[in-house]
This record gives sequence, structure tokens and C-alpha cells, in this order.
Amino acid sequence: MKKALRTGVIREYDMHSLPVRIGYAAIYVLCFVMVVFAVFPLLWVVLAGFKDLREFMSSTDILPRSFSLAPFLKTWNQLGIAKNYLNSLISVAGSVVCALIFNGLLGYGLAILKPKGYGVVKKLVLFSLLVPPTISIVPLFMNIQHLRLGNSFVPLWLSYGANAMYVVLFIQFFESLPYSMIEASRIDGCSPLQTFFRIVLPLSKPICAVVAIFAINASWSDFLLPYLVLRGGPLQTVMVRLFVFSTEQTVNADAMMRSVVFSMIPPIILFVIFQKQLTDNAVSTGIKG
Amino acid sequence: MNKQARGISPHGKRAESLKAWLIMLPGLLLMSFFVWEPLLESIRMSLYKTENIELVEFVGLRNFISVMGKTNFTQALANTFAYTFWSLLIGFFLPILLAMLIGETVRGKGFFRTAAYLPNMLPGLAVIILWSAFFSGEKSGVLNILLSRVGVPRQSFLTRADLVVPIIISIATWKGAGATALIYMAGMASVNPELYEAAAIDGASVWQRVIHILLPSIKKLAGTLLILQIISVFQIMYEPMVLTKGGPDNASLSLMQLMWQYAFGGSMDYGKASAVAVIVTVILLAMTLVYTYFNNKESDWD
Amino acid sequence: MKTRMRAVALLLVLCVLLTACGQSAAPAAEPVHEASAELQEELSALSDEVIDPNLTCTITLGNWPADTAPESELALFEGYRATMAKQYPNVTLVPDYFSYTLSNYVPMAKGGTAPSIFQPPFTDPQLLISQNLVGDVTDALEACGALDKFSPSYVEMLADENGRIYGLPRDGYVLGMHINVALFREAGLVDDEGLPLYPRTLEEVAEYGQIIHEKTGKAGLVFPASETYGGWLFTNIAWNFGCVGENALEYQDENGRWVCNFTSPQAIAAMEYMRDLQWKYDILNADATTTDWAGSHSALGIGEAAMNFAADDAVDQPTANKGLPLEDFALIPFPAGPEGRYALAGGTCYMFAPDITPDQATALMAYLKILGKLPFLDDDIIAGMRADYAAKRDRGAPVLPAISAWNDEEYNAAKQAIIDEYSNVDMRLYNDFFDSISEGTITLRSEEPVFAQQLYRELTAVIQRMITREGADVMKAMQSAQDSFQEYLDDEINT
Repeated sequence: MKKALRTGVIREYDMHSLPVRIGYAAIYVLCFVMVVFAVFPLLWVVLAGFKDLREFMSSTDILPRSFSLAPFLKTWNQLGIAKNYLNSLISVAGSVVCALIFNGLLGYGLAILKPKGYGVVKKLVLFSLLVPPTISIVPLFMNIQHLRLGNSFVPLWLSYGANAMYVVLFIQFFESLPYSMIEASRIDGCSPLQTFFRIVLPLSKPICAVVAIFAINASWSDFLLPYLVLRGGPLQTVMVRLFVFSTEQTVNADAMMRSVVFSMIPPIILFVIFQKQLTDNAVSTGIKG
Repeated sequence: MNKQARGISPHGKRAESLKAWLIMLPGLLLMSFFVWEPLLESIRMSLYKTENIELVEFVGLRNFISVMGKTNFTQALANTFAYTFWSLLIGFFLPILLAMLIGETVRGKGFFRTAAYLPNMLPGLAVIILWSAFFSGEKSGVLNILLSRVGVPRQSFLTRADLVVPIIISIATWKGAGATALIYMAGMASVNPELYEAAAIDGASVWQRVIHILLPSIKKLAGTLLILQIISVFQIMYEPMVLTKGGPDNASLSLMQLMWQYAFGGSMDYGKASAVAVIVTVILLAMTLVYTYFNNKESDWD
Repeated sequence: MKTRMRAVALLLVLCVLLTACGQSAAPAAEPVHEASAELQEELSALSDEVIDPNLTCTITLGNWPADTAPESELALFEGYRATMAKQYPNVTLVPDYFSYTLSNYVPMAKGGTAPSIFQPPFTDPQLLISQNLVGDVTDALEACGALDKFSPSYVEMLADENGRIYGLPRDGYVLGMHINVALFREAGLVDDEGLPLYPRTLEEVAEYGQIIHEKTGKAGLVFPASETYGGWLFTNIAWNFGCVGENALEYQDENGRWVCNFTSPQAIAAMEYMRDLQWKYDILNADATTTDWAGSHSALGIGEAAMNFAADDAVDQPTANKGLPLEDFALIPFPAGPEGRYALAGGTCYMFAPDITPDQATALMAYLKILGKLPFLDDDIIAGMRADYAAKRDRGAPVLPAISAWNDEEYNAAKQAIIDEYSNVDMRLYNDFFDSISEGTITLRSEEPVFAQQLYRELTAVIQRMITREGADVMKAMQSAQDSFQEYLDDEINT
């Protein structure tokens, strides 16, 4: 039988002392409090979705009067969320592809190929890690307008191909690859690009998964640049729609809560499927998604 | 089979180098378009009077003088530091505490980790809207419902100038603390449990072990995360925009929100918006220097 | 052909009237809905005649309802499109979902991607005209005979200094007050006939609000003191406290310099009134500083507040959108202040891309004619109006007299007759509002002339200070807002 290991400060030896045992119980209590804190708001918003406008704004009960799914269906249909979901999926899919290819290749160049002068670029990338992306959103928006790329997914997809954090993740991973294999491939006459696709990429599934999960979540949640690019047009994603709701007041507060629920479903599904990778990755990469 | 030629001849090297640059080119172009050029462009734009998306006239530092002379800038600057202060008070220590607590558990550790990470997955905008219902000052606000159960009369939260900043930071902390805690847990895991075992046998109390072994193990990591946190708090924008719209009386207006207001809030003053962005960049640059100081100490990336 | 159509229309009207009589309390939605669908058919059938087969151009139409809009609205616009296609077979209509804001419009206009027609509020035309960001439609307007029927006050708003016209009024609104009659009833504030005894002055707003708050526990007044809304409503209150003429919140002095004046005794008194609403009378809703426009309509609509300063064009918000039954809703004139009785009037207009060709301008006028936005009544337009009002009834929104932007008695009277047919409300709940305008007992006033949005923002901040801090210093806060807005004016316009 596999026994869970005690890895913390408190050792088996300490458990003989009563105060430590009480303290240990308190730790568990606090952890459960944390779980309640983390989960209750989520649970609440789902419950709130069952309320109509009057009940949502006047009732002082946490539980809704009825658990009919009708309000959810109504909001879904009335606001045409399905279309926004589709838009979001297209936006996310393109973003993930761009995030993997462009950042991967740049990381490959900086970590393995290291052509003359790569150091400057690497420093620039590391520097970009420290510059919040929103800070230059105004000139970026103007550039996109100048190129007449408004109302299109293209700038959004490509923006994920320029993510310093993903590049750094790739660099870190590639640097840990056994150099001998790459060297061997080169000696076998593979071009750098062939080496990338035949040797490096197959070895890099873990990091690709990490970047993909991060990119999926980030592009799903993103709304500032998408809002500026997609405007009120037919390509609006779920989060852009939610942002428009919250700033232009076109929906009622109860429908707003249901929209919040809708916007959370895909990330939660992603989380349920990949929770182990996600929590492990947060640990191994030291970077938040 | 020209094995040797490739690696050795200077011509081959140059060709290889060229190929490498070609491989990196798409990524570099995108980085330039989306990150580097806009950063430089914002500096240039901040020196110009803009009309719509065109730069019309070089005005030197006039945008800066005009922006900084207004009361809302002083308010936003003070608020941004208030955000930073509260985020250090609430958001910095909580993840360390959480990491310590979860790290001590044996059974259910995986479950606690999962629960802690969950809020970080949710879209930030959805989180803010969700919490706005919690902090509603109406009787139907969730917090008021909960408070009324213990006999506390209805409270207003978002109309109180002294409460909005800590409230917004609390929400951000709710979202991010668990994920940060997991990073700390990784740092703490670098300590061999046998070290605690040995200390325990030597008679060190649990508390002494925390102070002398556990906390020192995450000191460097905490320094790095501290700077990263400050940088991210400095760009707080949509949270107040959605939750309080900067109010009451600009009490939650942040610098980045001020930038957004200049650019997209109706006046379309991209020059002044860029001036605000440059000011934030300069402040962040100063912090980045601190960051690199810490980072160079523990990392060998470059 | 046309006579048959008239007969059908008459039949439909009878149908509508009969159902309305049969169920006077709750107008049935179903038959009306069918009627509107048939009217659609009628609309497209009527427009078989080709008006100009030679006009060839493409126009992009902003504010086209998104796929997610209510079906009835989509059908309406598809009907317009069908009519246009028949009358002008060589004009290509391209729907655009563009919804105007100053910030998203200007880059498009500069970049040459602006939609041919879009809808800015009346605060923006002069700015757009002065920056050459909109197109001239004077000649096209003259060609179709609508130029001389333009109400002069609108000409002033939509023309440049040479009298060239760049826009057309879409709709107008006048600020008044929305009332939740149910709460008035609960508080005993109704007369023998069940009509609300409503506040005629701002002072009475406070008194009535207190009574309602005491008797029902609900907020007397919901005030959206966020972003620009608070300042927007406050300007009207300030006018009624005397902030007009030499005491105006902003004015141009003899040297042409724009000056703002938030510290006149009148402005201070108005702001003290705002403070008292919170601290002396305690009639405001709980989260006034985060309440936005939609939030205030929600509060009134679901019965969390009894009064809301709002306009006649927003009557479908509390009713159709938030569920307040029509018999529990009333619209009253903006309460008078100690020094005046003003009501803010504004609206939306149609404007056009800066690069439109004469052909496009002609096509756009034809399109607006089909929409019924030009002062002409033919069968098409009447059918269009019917469809519009039927759709309104469908949603459970009050069908009310429109405030016309055209100086054309005949047109206005005919329009009113149609509106009366579709009326679904007890006009006694609205008469005082409309009478105050037509009889001139209330003075209409446009928004403050320059940088109104920024002015609103500054004043909103002061209001927020007043209602979040008991005993806040009104003079000090107003002085600081005045300094700040003056700096803004000096920066932007006094150079």
C-alpha cells in the first residue's frame, strides 16, 4: 500500500505533542476554508443564473426559487451566445497554432541554433517579459488600424505568436534537451528546420502542451485587444461580448450572470481535463498561466 | 554526405547562421510588430499632438505637462501606489501562507492544490463581474446577505473611497493567490525533508524550523515574485474599469485606466494616452532594474 | 394594386383595434405579431415599382442589427433592404454592424473605411463637421424636397457655417422622470382615479422620496452617479437651480475664451441638493456611485426605486426590458427647481462617410425615406411606421407620441394619427410630460456646448464625493472640479 509522504515541516515525531496536533488540525481546517473560498463564488454564480431579474436584484436568498434551466436557455438563445462561442473557438485555435509555431521557432533559434548576434535578441525577449502588454496597446491599436486589419482575427492570432513568456518557456525547455541528439541529426545532414521538426518537436511534447494550455486559457480570457480589433462586429468573442455588456449596459443583470457562467464553462472543462498538468506545470515552470 | 563541410567551412557557418535567422524571422517580425515597435512608438507618440490616428505636430513634453498637471493624474498615481501597497499587504503574504499550509497536509494535498489553482483558470473579466455582485451595496448583494445572517445591517462597499482599492486587490488575490502558492510550494519542495527531521531530533520546535529552514528556502523566489507582482499590479486597469468605473470620486482610478480613458474614453487623445503609458513604463523600468538585480543573483539565463 | 393594399391595411388596423378593445388591460402580443409580419409582406409588396434603375453604387449601412438582435427587428431591416432593392435595383446595400462611438468612428473615417451612414448623438456633429470627417448631403436633400422642412434648431446642429447639411435627425428625446406607479400607490401617493400624485419640483422629489422610503422601504430615487451619467442628469438639475445665462456651467466670454463656472451660488445650491438627497433625505439607492444607466432602469423596473430621471426615448427600458407592467409606469415632466423649469433635449442623428459620392448621397436619402426618416408620407412609409409601432407593442413597450424634428404640420399630424392607433398605454400617465413640451411650460435646452462628456465626468466625480462623504465641502469640491475642467478647456480649445 502506498503511503502518502509527509514532506512538510511537521514530522511524524512531532505528532506526539498535543499543541502540534491541534495546530495540525487547524491547518486542515484552514485548508478547507480555502477550498470553500475558492469554490463558493463559482457555485454562487451558477445559482444566481437561475434567478430572474427581479429575484436577482431583490431577493435576499442565496438559493434561487426554482432550478429550471429555462433562464439559461433563454439567455443563450436571446443573446446568440453560440455564435460568440464559435468565434472564440476560432480565435483560440488560431492563437494556439501561432503561439506554438512562432514562439517555438524563435525559442529554437535562441536556445539551440544560437546564430551570431542571438544574445541581443535574447536580452530583448527577456526584457519584454517585464513589460506589461497593455502598456503599448494604444500604438498597437493604431498600427492595426493603419494596416486596416480591424474586424478580423488575424491580428489576434498573430499577437499570440509574439509572447515573450512562451518564448522563454521554450528556451528553458530546449536548453535542457540532450545536445548530442541535435548534433547527431545535424551531422546526419538535416537542415536546422528538419532537425526542429524531426528531433526537437517530438521531444518537446510536454512544453508544447504547457504553452498550448496557457495560450488557450489566455486567448479565451483576453478581451482588451479583441475588443479594439473586433469592435461591435459579427466576430465578437464571448469575452468581448461580456466586456461590451459590462460597459454598454445592453443586457439585464440576471442575463449578465448567466453570461458569466457561459464564459467560465470552457476554462473549467479545460481545467478538469488538464488539472494535473496545470498544477504540476505551475510548479515546474514557476510561471502562472 | 558532406558532413564535414557543413560544420567547418566559414561559408557553411555563415549559411547556417543565415538559415537560423530565417527560422527566427517570423517570430522576430511578430515580436517587433506587437511588442517592440509599439513600445518605441508610444515614446514617439507621447511627444506629438495627435489627431485621430495621425501624429500632427511635435509638441515636446507638452503632453506630459498637461497630463501630470491634472488632478486625476495625481489621484491615479496615488491610487496605483495604494494598489501596490494593498497588494503587498494582502496578495504577497497570503500565497506564502497557503503554500505552507498545503505543504503540511498529507492526505488531500492534491485536492487542496487543485482547489487553490481553480480561480486562476477563470477569465479575469468574468471574475470581476462575478464579484461585483458580492460587493453590491443592495440588500441582495451576496456579502450583505451573508452579513445579514449574522445580524450586521446593510453595508455599502463600493461607494466607500477607503474600501474600493483593498476590495479590488482582494478580488485579484482571490484569483491569483492559489497559483502563486503552488509556485512557492515548488520552492519549498527543494528542502530535503530529512533536514526538518534532523532539526526536529536536535530539538528545534516547529516554529523554529519554519523560521530557520522553510522561509530561507523561498527567500530568493519571494523576492522575484514580489517584483513580478508589483509590475503586474501596476498595470491594473480593467478591474476598476468594470467594478467601480474608477469611482467613487476617482478613488479607484489607476494609471493604466487613465491611459485607456485618454485613448478610448471619448477624447481619443492618443498622444496624452501615450504620455501616461511612458510614465508607467519609466516607473516599471526602475522596478525592472531591481528585478534584474534579484534575477541575476539566482538565474544564469544570460 | 395600391387600393388592395390599403384595404388590407385597413383590415389589419381593425384587427388590431378589436383585439385591443377585447383585452384592454393586457394588449395581446400574438395578433399584433402576426399583423407586423403581414405588414412586412405589405411593405415589400408595395415597393414593386422601380424608382431609379440607373442609380448604381454601393452603400454600407452602419447600425445594422446584429444576428443576435430580436427577430422582429431583423425582419424590419430585411424589409427595408428588400424595398430598397426593388426601388433601386442597382444600389448594393452592405450591412455593417458598426455602432458609433467617437473613438471608433474617427480612425475609420480617416482610414476611409467608415460606413456610408451611421448614427452619432447630437453632441458630436459639430466636432465631426469641423474636422471634415463627415459627408455633405445638402444637394441630395434638396433634390428630394426635404431641405426646407428641416426644423431650424436641427439645421443649426447639423450644418456648417455655410449652411451645408451633413446630417439628419433620427430621433429626439426630452429628459423627464420615470415613475414606478406601484410604489407610489403603496405609499398612498395616488389620487382618487389611481393616478400618481407626482413631484412637480425638485424639493417635492425629496419629500415624496422620503414618504416612499418610509412606507415601502424602497429607494425614493435611483440616481446613476457613475461615469458621465451623473453629471449629465446633474446639468439639468443645475439649470433648474439657475445655472443658465450668465451663471451657466460653461460659457464663452467676450474674448472668445471658454470658461467654466461650477462655483456660482446656483451651482453650489444644486450640488448641495444632491448631497442632501443622500444625507438629509436619504432617498437614494444604495450603490449610486456604481449604478449605470441600465442599472437605474432596472431598479425602477423591478420596483427597487420609485423615481428615475430619464427620457421619453427610454420608456421601453423599465417596461419591456425589465418587466414593469405598463399600467405601473408613468412619465412626468422634469421637476422644476427654485430658479427654472428646463428639460434637457437631445437625440441621435444620421451622418455620412466623408467620401460619399453624389450618387451614394442620393441612394442614402432614398434609404432614409424608406425608413420613414424624411418628412414624407406615402404608403410605404406609413406601412413602415405601422411595422415599427407594431414591433414596439409586440415587445410590450409603450407606444408614445414622437417629438418631431420636422416643421411640417401635416406630416406630424398624420404621424400622430397612426401612433394613436397603436397606443397601448393610458395617456393620462404621460400627458403632463408631452403637454409641458407642446405648451411650452417647460423650456427645452440642449446639452452644454463644448466637451460635455468631460464636463459630465468632472461633475460625476463631485456628486460621488457628495454622496459618499457625509458633510463633504461642496464649495471645495466644486472649485477643484472647476479648476480641473478649466485646465481641460484651456488645453483643448482656448489656445
